[in-house]
Amino acid sequence: MAVAQWVKTLTFYEILVGMKATITVFIQRIILRNRKAITLQYPHEKRALPGTYRGMIALLKYDDDTEKCVGCDLCEAACPSRVITVISSEVEGEPMKRYAKEYYMDMTRCLFCGLCVQACPVDALAMTTEYEWAKYNKRDLRLDKDQLLALGDRNFTVREKKLEFQHPNVAYFNIGHKNLPPKES
Amino acid sequence: MEMLVFAGAAVVKITVVMGVVLLTVAFLTLAERKVLSWMQDRMGPMEVGPYGTLQPIADGIKLFFKEDIIPAGANRFLFSLAPILSLVPAFIGFAVVPYGPNREIELFGVTIKPFIITDINIGILYILAFASIGAYGVILGGWASNNKYSLLGGLRAAAQVISYELNIGLAIIGVLILTGSLSMVTIAEKQAGGFWHWNLIGGMQIIAFVVYLISAVAETNRLPFDLPEADSELVAGWMTEYSGMRFAFFFMAEYANMILVSCIASVLFLGGYNAPYPGTLLPDKLSWIEGVAWFTVKVYAFLFLFFWLRATLPRLRYDQLMRFGWKVMLPLALGNIVITSIVVYFVRR
Repeated sequence: MAVAQWVKTLTFYEILVGMKATITVFIQRIILRNRKAITLQYPHEKRALPGTYRGMIALLKYDDDTEKCVGCDLCEAACPSRVITVISSEVEGEPMKRYAKEYYMDMTRCLFCGLCVQACPVDALAMTTEYEWAKYNKRDLRLDKDQLLALGDRNFTVREKKLEFQHPNVAYFNIGHKNLPPKES
Repeated sequence: MEMLVFAGAAVVKITVVMGVVLLTVAFLTLAERKVLSWMQDRMGPMEVGPYGTLQPIADGIKLFFKEDIIPAGANRFLFSLAPILSLVPAFIGFAVVPYGPNREIELFGVTIKPFIITDINIGILYILAFASIGAYGVILGGWASNNKYSLLGGLRAAAQVISYELNIGLAIIGVLILTGSLSMVTIAEKQAGGFWHWNLIGGMQIIAFVVYLISAVAETNRLPFDLPEADSELVAGWMTEYSGMRFAFFFMAEYANMILVSCIASVLFLGGYNAPYPGTLLPDKLSWIEGVAWFTVKVYAFLFLFFWLRATLPRLRYDQLMRFGWKVMLPLALGNIVITSIVVYFVRR
């Protein structure tokens, strides 16, 4: 055995094994052409994203073009990175109904965990599949309400129907509505 | 008049050789990235030009327009001198390499050898001497940067280049004993007439060849012996503080050195421009094409070997490198000298 080990050492056997491995890949790539690079040429080719991809966060609207957000601040409370700032206010003349007067998301801090989406009682927040948001100025990543709504419009063309039984003066929450009786049509 | 023709011919030869070498250096950078990526299931540069073929030009333009930074604590004179001291010896060695058959042509009554810039009788010694000066560029660059990583890289380069240059010098002595000449042209000429006349096979210099190859990889600071650079330990070693054209000089010197050691290896061990079969296939007038082609093929095969090694092997540890150089390569090279001397002594008698 010792002799075999000596012969292996003297002939650089292990190195030759490694060099055979690399030249095999080289020949397969260049001469036989039965092997492909695993590279994805990113700006030209893009990976197909799964439906559950957690990209930029968007605010949604109902099908009658009204905002879903009721300004409850739960997303702000749920956010671990303090991305969200909600300035809530009541709708003028309707003291029971509130909405988000201003809504900011500082996406530089966002870690795309999706806790705000889970926390939202009215499903007003959603995660899109957008991710190409490189900016020259980092202040451009502090999104306001209009930008977030535009993101939602851009990515979710089918909007949720606004339920009719909702009283116009009462904020609608979707929490306990699983057991609602079916609506009479 | 004769002087003028002679000087003109020399200038033309130097221009052609320098142009070819610089072009090869530029496209070696691309070739290296491409070969490495092909061996590693990647694609390499693909953006500039078709399949990334114009990447070296883009790199060159980028390096040319980059800011030239000299660190505040650096020794400005040595910091500027080091890249030049590294680049010039790398190019100067090409003066004695025979690129083709030792032909003579008559031009306005002057005899000119078109494929050899100069045939000095100490050719190989001249190359080794200038290669040693190239090491100063690395050491001075590392010291003048006033950076601990640069200094460590420079020190490592000093130790490594000295120990492996010794092995190179001893490895080629076997060839010199067989040839009885230090001139690169004579060494190449003596190996004519088929591959069994090459020093590697006919001269039984296989140990010297292996020692030379490994030491050449170590001397050009290439993987797996790139300890002076050692990206993962020393940032970029002695090149850490360099940017722009000064960095490009070091980079070009590294690749020019690769070409130079490949040229020496093919001349000393693989017969230089000689074909592996006796004589030439083309008629005598055109046989120089064959010679130059064979020389090119051999040099590029060595360059491919450099890339191949880099794609395969991880970096050695520093103590492994030193032990391998002094305890393995040096005794092998010395033993080769002894055996070759004995064989030559008895065969000649």
